[in-house]
Amino acid sequence: MTDVKALAQERQQMFVNVYRGKIPTRIPINSILSLEACIEYAGANQAEVLWDMTKAEPIFEKVNTDFPADTPAGGTRRYPSFYQILGSRPFVMSSEGVMQHPNVQGMEPEDYDDFIAAPYDTMIEKIYPRLYTELDTDPNTKALILAKAMRAHGDEFALLAQIGARMRAKFGFASIPSSATTAPFDFLADFLRSFTGICSDIRRYPDKVIAACEALTPILIKKGKLPVPSKIGVTSIPLHMGPYLRTKDFEKFYWPSLKKQVEVLTEMGINVSLFVEHDFMRFLDHLSELPENTILRFEYGDPKLVSEKLGSKFIISGFYPVMLLHTGTKEQCIDKAKELIDILAPGGRYIFNTDKGAMDMHGNITENLKAVIEFVREYGKYDNPDEPYDLSKDPMPPAEKIVAEIEANLNSKYYQTWEQYRANHPELEGRPQEVIAKKIKKLEDDMFNFIINLGS
Amino acid sequence: MDRLLLLTQAISDLDEEKVFQILDELIAENPSDEEVQEIVAACQRGMIIVGELFDSDDYYVADLIFAGELMSKAVEVLKPIICSRKKDTIGTIVLGTVKGDLHDIGKNIFKGMAETEGFEVHDLGIDVEPDVFVAKVKQIEPQIVAMSAVLTIALNSMKNTVDALKKAGLREKVKIIIGGNPVTEDSCKRIGADAFTTIAGEGVDICKKWIVNSIA
Ligand code: B12
Repeated sequence: MTDVKALAQERQQMFVNVYRGKIPTRIPINSILSLEACIEYAGANQAEVLWDMTKAEPIFEKVNTDFPADTPAGGTRRYPSFYQILGSRPFVMSSEGVMQHPNVQGMEPEDYDDFIAAPYDTMIEKIYPRLYTELDTDPNTKALILAKAMRAHGDEFALLAQIGARMRAKFGFASIPSSATTAPFDFLADFLRSFTGICSDIRRYPDKVIAACEALTPILIKKGKLPVPSKIGVTSIPLHMGPYLRTKDFEKFYWPSLKKQVEVLTEMGINVSLFVEHDFMRFLDHLSELPENTILRFEYGDPKLVSEKLGSKFIISGFYPVMLLHTGTKEQCIDKAKELIDILAPGGRYIFNTDKGAMDMHGNITENLKAVIEFVREYGKYDNPDEPYDLSKDPMPPAEKIVAEIEANLNSKYYQTWEQYRANHPELEGRPQEVIAKKIKKLEDDMFNFIINLGS
Repeated sequence: MDRLLLLTQAISDLDEEKVFQILDELIAENPSDEEVQEIVAACQRGMIIVGELFDSDDYYVADLIFAGELMSKAVEVLKPIICSRKKDTIGTIVLGTVKGDLHDIGKNIFKGMAETEGFEVHDLGIDVEPDVFVAKVKQIEPQIVAMSAVLTIALNSMKNTVDALKKAGLREKVKIIIGGNPVTEDSCKRIGADAFTTIAGEGVDICKKWIVNSIA
């Protein structure tokens, strides 16, 4: 076996063990450099790379070589190509070439009732033409614009997947399917009602906000499904608005739909990875209600308290202040890594990561990050690893069944399950149904993922 | 007037219905100039309590934002009376969130409070280029330039804006105040502004003092 293959296997087993709550051979180290930071490191032009991701491949190679973490560097889902085609308001490229999110509001308070009844359709009919100016046009032009944008969206992600596969082969990364989705309240707040709008809504129409979150929950569960059936996989959910709410508003508006979402995704055999943004120390008891082995990446707060309260049930990550890598000395950076490892690593449910991704390469981060990765790789070896967890004994989780039920109840005139489609197309009688079903379903799902991606 | 206390209380409780019920009642009674001033002051006292509740962790950002919304709605309701009564505005402010920064909630709270105090506020919006500040200052010759920023990197834009005003020979003609969570005494000095604050009401008081002093 080549070194790279052995490394891939070691990493695969490390992650499998951690995700199953077992002690791995050593602490997995997440890559912490954002795509922007990688581009800066390679001295390339931000806008040029984002517009042409083939240029990212040598950049990733360089970064993966120089900063050998256990997961590949870079990646984004915000490409200027489709945002440009759509005339995006929620995401615009700044003069420096960085994708930015201004305050936007695609949904009016009057839209709540329609939205609650049929969220997917209301997004397509009313909300997106407001968020994406090029869709505010006649039906033919709109159809063509959407076709171009979805093509761009598909191309970008396909390219990223190809690059990803080559990086895996070359650097021996683990191969674990992943997906991403959004918490229902955040989805409603971010692009639809806006940060400011939602703050009024929770006081003016509290019941509608709750109903809208409930209506969104199945859709955002479906969005978090893994791209391929798998016994293991990770779905990331960044958390935005929770800490900006009073505890009693958090409990009323934010938490119930998120909890439901995490529970169902877990039932689907997925390790949900929550990016617990900002300070969640008020909500540790809430977090403790989540299913075992949910991954919690913290930004701020008290690692000791988190370890005590959550460390034996959840996989903890984050907390390492990325600013220290920029501004600190090598010694300070290593001391901090040691301090966090000593608190969080015992028991094995721990992944090394920073409190947030590095957005650029200013200060001493190049040297410091290299030193920290090297340190964690050595210091993070466990002397009491568990047996390699054997996935083959696990049953296949009922993900398909759960999602099929969601799809059957979407109440959309734009989303059709295969059964619905089949019923409307008698001409398919006697054709190779299984093959056709696969294709039709995939196209519907690609469209669904594209549409939901535009909403967050 | 007990109802003014109730108004302050309703604002600080973020009780929208109550706020506008009291305001409607008060306005229906056709208040004198002095009484209108008292109503405005009562609203602002409510906002100050909101700020305190925020500092003590009883309120969070979402509550602050809704308080800002209440305040600007109150300003809308009171504006017609204030405008029809006031012979002159007490002063003019050019306001904006500086280049690179798209946040405007704090800026809008300041704007609402400044307007209720009788300032004419020219709001340039968000992501405002230094040149746009300069052009507006040339055009309307305000007494005050007010800048807002919440991104730490936008503090540089504040400095660039002050430098641009200097270059255009306008710096000595205006007072400059900066606001937003990251501003500090240090950054104020570095930027070359005359005053800084992270409390909108305090900012309005500073502006009023400047106007009074310049007349005296
Ligand atoms: C709401 C919000 C948003 C909303 C903005 C909505 C809007 N219309 O403004 C949305 C979701 C759009 C947003 C976007 C982004 N945000 Co934002 N956002 C916030 C948040 C949660 C609250 C800010 C706020 O409004 N506070 C409430 C107001 C009332 O407070 P304030 O502005 O300080 O105002 C008070 C005083 O300072 C004063 N005041 C304010 N201005 C003025 C002016 C004058 C003249 C005076 C006298 C007084 C005064 O009066 C106010 C009341 O007393 C903060 C986090 C936080 N906890 O602060 C992050 C935060 C500011 N955002 C942040 C970031 C990074 C972004 C983005 C860049 C993210 C991205 N990658 O796209 C984008 C912005 C792009 C850009 N270039 O600006 C970071 C900034 C980090 C940093 N150190 O710079 C923060 C701190 C979050 C974080 N922890 O990382 N954001």
